[in-house]
Amino acid sequence: MRIVHYINQFFAGVGGEDAAGTPPSRTDGAVGPGRRLATLLGDDHEVVATVSCGDDHATSAAGAIDEIVSLIRAEQPDLVVAGPAFTSGRYGLACARVAAALVAEGVPAVAAMHDENPGVEEAGAAVVVRSGAVAREMGPSIDRLAAAVARLLAGETVGEADGRIGKVPRRNVLVEKPAAERAVDLVLARLGGDRSATEVPLPRFDPVTPAAPVDDLSKTMVALVTEGALVPDENPDRLESARATKWLRYRIQDRDSLPAGEFRSVHGGFSTVWANEDPHRIVPLDVARELEREGLIGGLHDEYLVTVGNGTSVADARRFGVEWAADLRRSGARAAILTAT
Amino acid sequence: MRLSENDEVGAGNWGRRGRPLTRLVHEVTALCLGEETAYREGRLTVSAPEAAAIVAAPALAEVRVSCASPGEPVRIVKLLDAVEPRTKGRGGAGIFPGILSPRRPTRGPETHVLRGAAVVAAGFLPRAQEAVVDMSGPAAPLSPLGATHNVVVEFTPAPGADWEDVDTALRQGIIALAARLAEAALEAPADAVETLPGVGEQADDGLPRVGVLTNLQTQGKFKQPFVYGRSFTDSFTTLIDPNDLDDGAVVSGQFGHPGLKNSTLLYQNHPIVEAMRRRHGSELRFAGVVLSPEPVDQAAKEFMSAHAARVCALAGWDAAVVTKEGGGNADADMSLAMDALEEMGVPAVGLFAEMAGRDGTGPSIVVPPMRATAMVSTGNYDERLVLPAVERALGAERIDLVDQAATDEIEIPMAAVYCSLSPLGWGRSTCREAA
Repeated sequence: MRIVHYINQFFAGVGGEDAAGTPPSRTDGAVGPGRRLATLLGDDHEVVATVSCGDDHATSAAGAIDEIVSLIRAEQPDLVVAGPAFTSGRYGLACARVAAALVAEGVPAVAAMHDENPGVEEAGAAVVVRSGAVAREMGPSIDRLAAAVARLLAGETVGEADGRIGKVPRRNVLVEKPAAERAVDLVLARLGGDRSATEVPLPRFDPVTPAAPVDDLSKTMVALVTEGALVPDENPDRLESARATKWLRYRIQDRDSLPAGEFRSVHGGFSTVWANEDPHRIVPLDVARELEREGLIGGLHDEYLVTVGNGTSVADARRFGVEWAADLRRSGARAAILTAT
Repeated sequence: MRLSENDEVGAGNWGRRGRPLTRLVHEVTALCLGEETAYREGRLTVSAPEAAAIVAAPALAEVRVSCASPGEPVRIVKLLDAVEPRTKGRGGAGIFPGILSPRRPTRGPETHVLRGAAVVAAGFLPRAQEAVVDMSGPAAPLSPLGATHNVVVEFTPAPGADWEDVDTALRQGIIALAARLAEAALEAPADAVETLPGVGEQADDGLPRVGVLTNLQTQGKFKQPFVYGRSFTDSFTTLIDPNDLDDGAVVSGQFGHPGLKNSTLLYQNHPIVEAMRRRHGSELRFAGVVLSPEPVDQAAKEFMSAHAARVCALAGWDAAVVTKEGGGNADADMSLAMDALEEMGVPAVGLFAEMAGRDGTGPSIVVPPMRATAMVSTGNYDERLVLPAVERALGAERIDLVDQAATDEIEIPMAAVYCSLSPLGWGRSTCREAA
């Protein structure tokens, strides 16, 4: 069977962070971690090509995933392997998006990464196999990945025991008993004391541990962030009104207020009349500046961060949160006021 | 329409029990149009001019009647409602109270049922989402109408007619037609005699008392069922004799969410009620049916769900199955009621359709219960299926959803197949993890 392997610039030997902007390219045969993969898969299967891309390019350049997918598609693979990406966020997202796009086209694809990689949530219907947390664990990670790939190529399924993580697609099937009979079976099971029987797995709620309280607010830089879709009046960056795929930042460094007419909310989930009459109802810059002058807070972050929280997928919302936290941490903000609508 | 107020037939004294009912079942195995409406040895013949005259109303300029039977290369689109032909005697004799017969609890111990047949209305109405049924191919087993001999009523509204009048005329028309067709079997020997117990009997048999809480969609015009002929919008939770469901006490006027619709035919044959009747006396004691509205705002949802749960508990239920009509909005009413029941120590099971996205990886339930855990899956709303081309289409010439001719090969979501995700539990679809 023909296999194509996707890896990032680092594992392709192009370079580290300095080469993260490298565009996609293809090489004959196996490269880097793909060599061990090829060895483990044996003579029945061949890694015919390796496609690689810089992590920044893959995750932020428009059309990058399409470019990568078309390079892979040209090889007419029977199966595509991406990673392992360990806990590397951008690499994991790239592996996940490439695998998800291929599976949506009907090409089987497997990505490998650590459980906590944000890519796990973005792999669509592709199979995700657990890897270690760091590249030091490449050996056992490739072993597990190769075993899962071998099972899939043999037409077998890959389950939890094989290291499968992430979402498993749910497909419609016809069963013998009508739903009404199954409901009565289930109610009798419940009466019999079975509290776990169900046909729909209970949703996983992510418990969030609150951060520790701020020690001294008068020495802390505070950021204003919102899902209320407040943008400059022309909406220059085309923030969506629903199902956001991105977040934006706007400078407030030189401002004491956000006047009506200059800013407006493009949120599609509520009537924005009152928000647009006074944009501070969404982003309270006026009051925040007063607090700054009074010395109650140590300072106000130069930008406010904004997206729209309306029908946003949980995966996108989680990604925005991760990116916001990293961004604020880098910029020195140590507390944030998130206004929600 | 005739029903004598003095008709005491079957109005026996059943004391504190519910009304017992016997179904005289006539199996329909063939359907055709012919000179005279008749039923003989499984063959139902329909006089198209007579049928059209029964449905005719000032709001309808034209009514057309045709047939669609299982296995035929036929598709019905823009399907609105389906009714099983039933009657209690000439002129209906109490069947469909509040619509065909006077509004009062139905009486008379026997109901004639043309099982395997349906009267179906198809065409455009405002707020109606397009429903599709194929009489053959992969979608046929997904809809109750894929296996019935269907008398299909198409219509042209009268110029300038109010859409509400068109809706009312269709509802009254197909119900009157369904009763008239069943009348053709009044003298025929029954293929099966099914005696339904009355509910409410107290018995010290140690069996758990189990009932079904059925939420009805109540979102106003074109999105509301009728109970004893009256819109259930703005109504309160009520207990109802399940045998009245058999006699057409609940009629659909809800045309949203095709896959998640509860048609009149399914209220007449409420699948959970049927399942509980089958286990009555052996595994459980069937404790009855509670109907409850699905209000549109959160505070009303919370109140009505808690109230419905209390009605079930006050009726002495040990456990409940909870059903809904509609999409994610209706999940909230069901989840709130399930949680309220569990809080009172009444185990609750809900029937949910999953809304897990095309690839089946999204979160399945829009508003899952917080306390209750037992859910039946009637399938993924979003998964797509390809229906092969057919030779003949009824209801409309085009399917707007895909902007194609109604006879074309089409790719549609499960959500568009009529009753395919039946919240009343008719179907055999469910979701499994694709490992």
